Amino acid sequence: MRRIIAQCRKELTQILRDRLALSLALLLPLILLYLMGISISLTVKDIAIVVQDLDQTPLSRRYIDAFRSSLTFRVDPWPITEQPWKALEDGTARGALVIPKNFERDLLRGDAVEVQALIDATDANTANLLRGSMSAISGGFMASISPGVALTPIRAETRLWYNPGRDSTKYTGPAVIGLGLMLFPSLLGALAMSREGEQQTILQVYVSSISAREYLFGKILAYFTVATAEWVLSVGAAFLMFGIRLVGDPTPFLVGTAIYLFTTVSFGVMIGAGIPNQAAAIQATQIVGFLASFLLSGFIFPISNIPAWLRWIAALVPARYYIELCRDAFVRGGGWPAVWYAPVMLALLGSFFYIMAWRTMRRMQVNA
Amino acid sequence: MKSLLDQFTGLRLWPLMVKELLQIGRNRRLVISLVIPPTLMMVIFGFALNPKVSGLRLGIVDMSRSAESRELISAFGESRAFEVKGYYESSERLGAELSKGKLDIGLVIPWDFARKRARRQTADVQILLDAVNTNNAEIAGGYAGLIIRSLNERIAASSPAPVAINPAVAPSSSAIGGSPAQVAPSPSAMGGSPDQLAPSPFPMGQSPGQFTPLPAISANPSGQSPQDTGVPVAIDMTEQKVGHGSIVTRIALLFNPGLVNSWFIVTGTMGILLVNNGSVVSAATMIKEKEVGTIEQLLMTPATATEITIAKIGPLFFLLVCEILLVLLTGYLVFGVPVRGSLFLLIFSGSLCVLAGIGIGITLATFTRSQQQAQLMAFFINPPISMLSGATYPVEGMPEWLRPVTLLNPVRHFSIIARGVMLKGVGIDVLYPNLLALLGISLLLIAISSWRFRKQLG
Repeated sequence: MRRIIAQCRKELTQILRDRLALSLALLLPLILLYLMGISISLTVKDIAIVVQDLDQTPLSRRYIDAFRSSLTFRVDPWPITEQPWKALEDGTARGALVIPKNFERDLLRGDAVEVQALIDATDANTANLLRGSMSAISGGFMASISPGVALTPIRAETRLWYNPGRDSTKYTGPAVIGLGLMLFPSLLGALAMSREGEQQTILQVYVSSISAREYLFGKILAYFTVATAEWVLSVGAAFLMFGIRLVGDPTPFLVGTAIYLFTTVSFGVMIGAGIPNQAAAIQATQIVGFLASFLLSGFIFPISNIPAWLRWIAALVPARYYIELCRDAFVRGGGWPAVWYAPVMLALLGSFFYIMAWRTMRRMQVNA
Repeated sequence: MKSLLDQFTGLRLWPLMVKELLQIGRNRRLVISLVIPPTLMMVIFGFALNPKVSGLRLGIVDMSRSAESRELISAFGESRAFEVKGYYESSERLGAELSKGKLDIGLVIPWDFARKRARRQTADVQILLDAVNTNNAEIAGGYAGLIIRSLNERIAASSPAPVAINPAVAPSSSAIGGSPAQVAPSPSAMGGSPDQLAPSPFPMGQSPGQFTPLPAISANPSGQSPQDTGVPVAIDMTEQKVGHGSIVTRIALLFNPGLVNSWFIVTGTMGILLVNNGSVVSAATMIKEKEVGTIEQLLMTPATATEITIAKIGPLFFLLVCEILLVLLTGYLVFGVPVRGSLFLLIFSGSLCVLAGIGIGITLATFTRSQQQAQLMAFFINPPISMLSGATYPVEGMPEWLRPVTLLNPVRHFSIIARGVMLKGVGIDVLYPNLLALLGISLLLIAISSWRFRKQLG
């Protein structure tokens, strides 16, 4: 125990002396947290569409106003002489609406009027959103000009749970905390481990009386402390920046956090023990830690959309479980029954990383 | 004249270039990192980054338990967007499942649903959405709206003349109908599937009363069929309809009619890969000379700083341009992304993007002392470049004040050009603003980097 603490103190001193690494470890997560939280969103507002009104009647203008009053669209007129798809080609608009001649006359007469909508589908998801809201607005407009009639035999009353304002920071905000904590503690751990390998200071460890287990525990404890500081900072920042609050029972979140931090640090230590070269260790953490956590954790893109042959990898990504814990703690509030498996999986992964690191260390010790 | 030029610059520049090429060729790790990660990332990005919403887990509370409510449920069940996960006795039970994250959407049909339908009142149903994932919620809500709207249309239409299930009825019905069926395309394409612009019947006239089973959800291009007495919607509905007409939004999806999401991701990822890889690789090669100390030897040669810089950039540039082709090939072979416009324009702007990446890398290398520091810096600069580019998710999702910042990002311009050339098939006449911006940014970055590099040499 004394040796573990001594090892931990030595690591902490080393971190405190390395100002660059320390500031990177504490400041950059906050900057990234902020940038990611505000910039990553698939929900779009204010999409430019152009409208070509060939009818120019009060009714057609009311129809356009229905689009203008929705938050999704920003409506610009488009000259009649130009072809509407030109606006999509050069990217001035994502959609174009062509209101035919005699729109008002035919509508009042009771004919079916065909309004043409062109949507730029290069971004498939946004195109899908546009399609949905365009026909919703048309439907709402029809209902508004023929009031009191049961034109709608069934009416849906939609309620948005947990996030009624459709504030996407509620979705990304908690997840970014998990992502940042995957990235930086493991990076620091990997750097510290591979530095010992690169600079051969590991030999000093071998000749000392410290065992592989004590050595690893000491290192992990030191970076666990740093990671905890980072966790406090990021959660505080998320409180301030995204206005998220804990809902429901916080114990799964707290227990999960402790396990998660152990897991990420062990992951870094494992990488560092395996790759005794700092630059290569950074690259490895970047690819495995960042890319896998960014892409395969359900951070923005749902895991259920990943094809089955890639999905099993997602089950091995620690960030995935922690992101679920964060979302539960800050948005849904389901408590233990909803997320009991997340801390368990994290613990399994963490012990796996630790054992791998320990095995590498032992092998090295025998070799030396 | 030409031979003079050869003697003047070629003599010195050429050996330097050869030296760089040999050095890169010997560095197995560099070559591997140029080939494998881009291909792998392209494939994983294309498959994994998919916001497409399908198979949403739907929970149902059916308090009505009637033919009408089952009609509504089957309309949901038949769409590929939803997958009925289970039935619950009460909305509380449904809510509990929703909060556990076991469901994405809940449909609550009240007990008076059938009665209201029978009385021709508007029957309310409740849709509960787990809005934690705003994108999913928005699209799920849109699909639910589409399903209910098309069901409404069908109910409204079916009272005088329901949609035929059996197309064989069509000829006779069109013969009967005093007013011909007006065939209008319906915008209902559920499940994010390619937009089926299948025409759905829009019967305007009266038709004789015969009994048909519940109408099918699929848009049926046949004409009217006999009246459905089972669905209690009044005929005056049609008169209302005649009084107010209807709007049919005919929606055409341009450039990517199948809504293939990987096309969007692949065209965006190209720029990210070129800039990220360009910066990492060039930082690594530049810093190496510095770290090992061979930069002093280079300085002792008669080569000027410009020559050294060009010789450094040249081979890297060449290799990274080869990477553009690799990435294009991967996109074409794995995802079938087309190149509809000029390949030359695409490669030209791609090489500008590579130049920008090299510029960033060299600048980073001049600020750092070791391989490790340069890698760390790249680690922190690359994520914001990738995020603030509109390459993998739309710029319109960012806050207003942040959007102009993305205009400084080479990846943003390149992704616009790549999408323009590959998907929209437009040319330089449309894309010149982005091309000019990209050119400007790349030249600026290269200028900064060579200025920094020269300062360091001197």
